[in-house]
Amino acid sequence: MPTMTVLIDSPPTAPYHVATIAALRHAIDLRVDRSSFVIDVVRTDAVDGIGDAVVIGPGTPYRDPRAAEDVITAARERGIPLVGT
Amino acid sequence: MLVEHARTLAGISDATHAEYNEAGTPIVTLLACSLNGVDIDITVLPGTRLSTIYGTRTATERTTCTYGLDSAHSHIVESFGMHIAAVDELGEVRAVERDDHPFFVGTLYQPQLASAPGAPHPIWRAFVAATAARRPHVH
Repeated sequence: MPTMTVLIDSPPTAPYHVATIAALRHAIDLRVDRSSFVIDVVRTDAVDGIGDAVVIGPGTPYRDPRAAEDVITAARERGIPLVGT
Repeated sequence: MLVEHARTLAGISDATHAEYNEAGTPIVTLLACSLNGVDIDITVLPGTRLSTIYGTRTATERTTCTYGLDSAHSHIVESFGMHIAAVDELGEVRAVERDDHPFFVGTLYQPQLASAPGAPHPIWRAFVAATAARRPHVH
């Protein structure tokens, strides 16, 4: 069950937070295996693992920019799909 | 992504994002003209992953960005595996990607703002497909 980690610090009701999660769901919902995907939304100051894919959401300044960089480094080094917007 | 690239690969160990007001070398700086809430026309560079994803040479995207790659350091996005994938009308970098990675794309616009039910933005569609490909038991 692939987990997509969305690193985003804005509140869940913030427009760009809502749009990011919605856009992922739009893409997942077209797939026959849509029920197998998990979206895990975490703040930069609470990240614990990066799952099978990473979204670096909009919204700098981050609460913990070094943690965000560490996630990017890990995704880059491990070949984990990553999108940053 | 740009700061991480600068710090860990491009040899600018004190690279910073100007928004944080930290000491160091600002790689991402305040744009002369804010692009917050603006639609921009981008040109996707041929031969890039992004060109395959879009399937078109140009696109219009919504951006909320007020910061961008500092022009004095623009060379770093053509080094150590990173490449420019799209530029705007002024030739400014709007997207980057890595050629040494299955799927590593960064945009200085927000493709999530151009996605709708039944019509996902191609970047998100490709990203989900790349995630599934990494887990081969998912079809």
